[in-house]
Amino acid sequence: MVQILVYGAVISAIYAMLAVGFTLIFGVARILNLAHGSFYALGAYTVYALTTNANVPLWLAAILTVLLVAAFGVGVERVLVRPLRRSMLAVLLITLAVSLMVEQVLLLTFGSEARNVPSLVSGTYHFAGVDIGAQRVLALVGGVVILVGLWLFMQHTRLGSAILAISQDAEAAQYMGIPSDRIYSIVMGLSAGIAAAAGILVAPFQSVIPSMGLLPLVKAFAIVVVGGLGSIPGSIVGALLLGYSETIIAFKVSIEWSQIVSVAAVLLTLILRPAGFFGKRAAF
Amino acid sequence: MMMSRIDWIGALAALCGLIAAPLLLGSTYIIGILTVALCFGMWAASWDFMSGLTGRENFGHSLFIGAGAYTAGFLNVNFGIVPWWSLVAAPIVAVMFSLVIGFPTLRLKGPYFALAMLSAATMMQSITVIFSTYTGGQDGLNGLDPILYSQLDYYYLVLGFLVASVCLLKVIANSSWGTLLRAIRGDEASCQAAGINVTFYKIASLMISAAVAGLGGALYAHYQLQVGPDLFTVILSINIIIMVYVGGMGSIYGPVGGAILLSVLTEALRGLSEYRLWVYTLVLIFILFFMPNGLIAPLWRRLRSITS
Repeated sequence: MVQILVYGAVISAIYAMLAVGFTLIFGVARILNLAHGSFYALGAYTVYALTTNANVPLWLAAILTVLLVAAFGVGVERVLVRPLRRSMLAVLLITLAVSLMVEQVLLLTFGSEARNVPSLVSGTYHFAGVDIGAQRVLALVGGVVILVGLWLFMQHTRLGSAILAISQDAEAAQYMGIPSDRIYSIVMGLSAGIAAAAGILVAPFQSVIPSMGLLPLVKAFAIVVVGGLGSIPGSIVGALLLGYSETIIAFKVSIEWSQIVSVAAVLLTLILRPAGFFGKRAAF
Repeated sequence: MMMSRIDWIGALAALCGLIAAPLLLGSTYIIGILTVALCFGMWAASWDFMSGLTGRENFGHSLFIGAGAYTAGFLNVNFGIVPWWSLVAAPIVAVMFSLVIGFPTLRLKGPYFALAMLSAATMMQSITVIFSTYTGGQDGLNGLDPILYSQLDYYYLVLGFLVASVCLLKVIANSSWGTLLRAIRGDEASCQAAGINVTFYKIASLMISAAVAGLGGALYAHYQLQVGPDLFTVILSINIIIMVYVGGMGSIYGPVGGAILLSVLTEALRGLSEYRLWVYTLVLIFILFFMPNGLIAPLWRRLRSITS
């Protein structure tokens, strides 16, 4: 029971980090970013390359990785997405092309076998009769800290208010002098950075393989549909729902069946309440 | 959009070329490549029928292909049923899949359909691995019976199905139905205001698209004599979308040309082995930026305007 509670919380925190970035860039810039999973994979691989090939200390590597992946996200938005923003299909295709490209680059440089990324912290905690790896606890704490940080940033800084303004009404915000193009780049960098942080935090206890970004993308999409496309609180609630139901099924039935939860959740939500929990009625 | 004389001549020339190609080139290796190319032609045409006409992009067409192929595999390998029946069963199963995904998602605006298809195909891929006792897991199902023993005959069978389905899709696309579907792409709200049941038309066109894709999947399975989880991959769906893009979206014949062109090109690039996907994605990016209308269909239209 305690095990389910703690493991579910860890998974939910990771899912929330992925889903928040995915929903943020959609809510603000109307970009459905299919390359979101590749930011996550890049996070794990960059920290691996920095620590094992370049011997950078782990904490420094983690910070560098977040910055590098965020810069990569900004680059993708500037160079590839921005010229095609008028067409939703073109944006979907170009971000998909980016994610395939990233997967190929990772495959060609690191090969298809799983890589081991060192843990930021070692040891296990003994908690109410269950052993929990310290890295999982760190993932949970890190996720919560990043999400709270994001909330504070959005609510209490000028830049955060500008992002919120754009997401409410892009045109009106632009008339008020908010540079929307720059905001889109910043949000892309922000969401890429958060996804990379998620990748770094889970890398020590997940298999790090080139195709690791695809499933998180599907999960992020499922969470965002359940919570409402474009809503940050919705994506956190969705992450908790999906994280816990997956964990419960993994413990009570089998790990394999837990994979089906997300698709079932998507279909059910779309049938019963298409806008999601916190979505606007825009979906109808 | 009636077919003018030049269109008939072009269609006949293409058909003659496809009939003559294996006879001229001869080797079984090339016939095999062409057979696969024709399967891709069916998939690209069926993708285009739904997504090109209504503008609802399907990012998981491999769902229908895999469903059709696995139906063929199940019936033939697990139950020992004569392979001809899979050509009947595969489209039916694919249509059932299209209803499960299409009904909840096509009612909605926004990107739900595209993403739901993408996740459904990905999930089916993992489901085939989960139920490995029935589906053979990563290895898939092996040892399907061939439908026809001669490879050349089988090529002509697939060609026959391709021509039949392209004609069918083209006839529907040129009828008032097709006009309606194109109107949905143009302005869904106005269509709805005009009293058209938009959802019905979208789901129906997805069903037709799925049926053709499933049939193509079964034909492909009986050519490869093997089905595996890679039939559900996103990469397969993307390849099809690239083919449609190269051919020119919304024209049905263009994507078939694009599919055959790119399948043959892919074989020619075999020497690049692991860099092939790179080439593919670069082609996609190039087309997105510089040729948003594609290659084959716009060229043909220009040719037609010169001659008439």
